[in-house]
Amino acid sequence: MRARKSGKEGNVTVTPRETRVLDAVVSLVDSLLDDFDVVDLLTVLTERCAELLDIEAAGFLLADPLQQLRLLAATSEQARELELYQLQADEGPCVDCYVTGQPVSVADVREAKERWPRFVPAAVGAGFVSVHAVPMRAAGIVLGALGLFGTRSGELTEADLLVGQTLTHIACVAILQEHPPTPATVMPQLRSALTNRVIVEQAKGLLREMLDLSVEEAFHLLRTYARANDEHLTDVARRLVTDRYSRPMLVGELAELAAAPPR
Amino acid sequence: MAIHEQLLAAVDGRRGVEAADRLCEACVVLLDVDAAAISLVFDGASSGTLGSSGAPARMYDELQFTLGEGPCLESVARRIPILVVDLADPREARWPAYGPAMLAYQIRGVYALPVVVAGEYIGALDLFRAQPGELPGEDLAGAVAAAELAGVPLLDILDGDLEAAVTDPNSNAWVELNTLSRAEVSQATGMLIAQLEVEPAEALVRLRAHAYATGRSATDVARDILDRRLKLEAD
Repeated sequence: MRARKSGKEGNVTVTPRETRVLDAVVSLVDSLLDDFDVVDLLTVLTERCAELLDIEAAGFLLADPLQQLRLLAATSEQARELELYQLQADEGPCVDCYVTGQPVSVADVREAKERWPRFVPAAVGAGFVSVHAVPMRAAGIVLGALGLFGTRSGELTEADLLVGQTLTHIACVAILQEHPPTPATVMPQLRSALTNRVIVEQAKGLLREMLDLSVEEAFHLLRTYARANDEHLTDVARRLVTDRYSRPMLVGELAELAAAPPR
Repeated sequence: MAIHEQLLAAVDGRRGVEAADRLCEACVVLLDVDAAAISLVFDGASSGTLGSSGAPARMYDELQFTLGEGPCLESVARRIPILVVDLADPREARWPAYGPAMLAYQIRGVYALPVVVAGEYIGALDLFRAQPGELPGEDLAGAVAAAELAGVPLLDILDGDLEAAVTDPNSNAWVELNTLSRAEVSQATGMLIAQLEVEPAEALVRLRAHAYATGRSATDVARDILDRRLKLEAD
């Protein structure tokens, strides 16, 4: 959002972003055409969003079968930021976006205290100023929202919004890719994606306990291990929490990886 | 009122088998089905029908455990919804014993949705219908919501010592599902899996039982476990 406010004379800055957006889209669509893990790919998507939109934090929130928003993937696993997503079970930009199906963009969150009495103090406390949300849609249904949090004030420009929507579409395809979506198939697939997230969270806790890591370190280690071994993040997590016979060896390998110097 | 809100109203303030029965009754009233049952497929010993909309539903459901095949068992094993639109279709040959048995009871449509607790597929909501055909989209969405809600009574059943929960007149399934799906609770569940050497669903049951026993929220208990301020004893 920063330099792009300059408008017409911004051709010089617009072109590199276009290239970067296209690069991101090409590499993400490449992953979609290959075997991929939903939680892992959506985490990558949030990271791309943050880079391309000059935003500090981004997260995908999906509606569960009871139409409550739950976090599927985010740029950060910091507790303060997780709380911002989790608060949106009740109120916040993502809930408003989900309910109306329209993007939400608030330049300065401090001016929205009455609109979101619990969300605003939490957002300010976590160091955010601007908050935005872009709807996720498929088969005529709003599936959830992409939440975007910035540390500087400013609304999303139309170009920003387009980038956000493009990445959000890719996220929807990733979640629903097994079958063409119909209202009947969308809900079970959302539910299955959210279940994967639960298992990944459990695996983070298990590694915190067994290897004495923070949950953030545990998540990073899981992703690194899954990539190095060409396995799905969720499959590694599921083996860790449900397969007590292969657990000791897997934890051993993870411990070795954690101790290895970064390349 | 949306279907999921009516389902919530049906279970609020109720626990265990009673909540499961009421949820099944609500499915029959709100969805275009003739019978509904919730079963638990977990740990062998506790497997079986848990709640039902009535005697016929219980019979249709229990038959799966007698015959060793059926919608609930398949839905849990494959971790997907099983939607059979017409058991009388000659191409429908997935259950050689269960299919003909259900046809003899005049049931042609069978729909099963997995019930998930702590990421584990531990049971299913089974819906039965005399009329063949697909469930309309709205009904299927309602059925998925009912299967999500069914996680709460299944947790109750898995918790042997339920007194605290049973006597809580303010228990609210919506609030409970929201709390139990938070990241901290799943992370703490993961720590308990390692500490207590139990399966995920049992770890969540233990966390929740501790919250009930001490009158605290599951989130607070989860944070204490994560920060190593609290350690639950192994059984």
